[in-house]
Amino acid sequence: MPLEPATALVLRTVDWSESSLVVTLFSREFGKIRGVARGGRRPKGPFESSLDVLSRCRIIFLRKSSDALDVLSEAKLIERFRPFERGLPALQAGYHIAELLDAWTDCYDPHPQLYDLTIATLAELRPQTPLGALLLQFELAALRLLGYFPALKECVHCGAVVQPQSRVSFSCLEGGVLCVSCRPGKRNVISLSNAAWQIMSQLPLLWDDDQTTTEKEASDARQRKLDVDGLRRLPTDGLGELRPVVSQYVNHLLGFMPRTQASLGK
Amino acid sequence: MISESVSRLIEEFSKLPGIGKKTAERLTYHVLRVHEAEALQLAEAIRNIKLNVRYCEECYNLAETEQCAICRDSRRDRSRICVVEQPRDLISLENTGSYSGSYHVLLGRIAPLEGIGPEQLTIDRLIERVQQGGVKEVIMATNPTVEGDGTALHISNLLAEFPLEITRLARGVTAGSVLEFANREVLTDALTGRQKF
Ligand SMILES: [Zn+2]
Ligand SMILES: [Zn+2]
Repeated sequence: MPLEPATALVLRTVDWSESSLVVTLFSREFGKIRGVARGGRRPKGPFESSLDVLSRCRIIFLRKSSDALDVLSEAKLIERFRPFERGLPALQAGYHIAELLDAWTDCYDPHPQLYDLTIATLAELRPQTPLGALLLQFELAALRLLGYFPALKECVHCGAVVQPQSRVSFSCLEGGVLCVSCRPGKRNVISLSNAAWQIMSQLPLLWDDDQTTTEKEASDARQRKLDVDGLRRLPTDGLGELRPVVSQYVNHLLGFMPRTQASLGK
Repeated sequence: MISESVSRLIEEFSKLPGIGKKTAERLTYHVLRVHEAEALQLAEAIRNIKLNVRYCEECYNLAETEQCAICRDSRRDRSRICVVEQPRDLISLENTGSYSGSYHVLLGRIAPLEGIGPEQLTIDRLIERVQQGGVKEVIMATNPTVEGDGTALHISNLLAEFPLEITRLARGVTAGSVLEFANREVLTDALTGRQKF
């Protein structure tokens, strides 16, 4: 088995023994990786305490066949997430992103664009950023990249174009909006204001997901691709309305409520 | 075949951290060889630690009475509270011999991804201690990890309404090393945490 290099974000670490960790990473090249880092809890050695939640590192790992854990042999820190500089709401948003990525992705199913979106979003988690809008943007853009974005223009049931009205019916179960004739008799339908509906369509477009190839190219382009000023221009009442709707849709897709969801916006 | 008692002790030893099967066997045969009194001292010590040791009612350090030795010591400065994650962190700080204030042990850290929230730690008791008055400084000495820093940040928000100073441990360049070989993160820490001459 060859040693593989990758760039990755640490999603979770669990103490394995006095000196070892089991680490879950989201890598640009391989998707999710779960591996043992022997000596990962020691400050010196091949990992130099780089394996901390939300840290971005260059890793070298040994891919194991079957369902055995991979073995990390080295990690070099690119950037650490610094809570004291970012502030508590940004940290909570960071935890939420880590939990969603862990739930949404599979081992060895690479999503380089989702990785780039994640790194660009994490870089903007700061006190000055409109965090609520940024997080919604991340969730909706990620759903689009993963192929779970809800149908918003055409009725998810019959395909008819939904006319802009004062309110629109949104169904988590069906995965999109319903036209006036399909709406009756459907369960768990949320009534969305026109403003919230518009924002839901616009938000994922603030991430320009054109293809980039290498990590080097991507790291140069990433921050330009996320339109943070666009987030600042969104009306706040529509955003407030959207938060529980997107959470409900995400929970419906996952089949459970993420642990980090309750702390958002507190 | 080895006797049931012997294999049972090997099994118990091998559950200990850092003890493999071979070491567990060596320890077991050592216990077999020593005098009965000496072996029973070990058994008694294990028994006592489970029966007698509890958490200090004041600071949640390990104690054998209601209050730990540090909280009972009248020479300790009660106007300063140093907040740590675990009793073992307290021991490390005590071993430096350079701190004479009191402590507060959180018994963990906030780790939302592992389902550990602030209500599972001893934060309420810390706030109570501060409310009782007389505290001038709270020193955050949680681990310098994302979760440790996050825990310190959460607590410092709760303490913001009290008239006291909140500080945290310095981090950065190790004394005796050279700047040239320090990595970017360490240097950033050192610059952020710079202090007046
Ligand atoms: Zn329809
Ligand atoms: Zn005590």
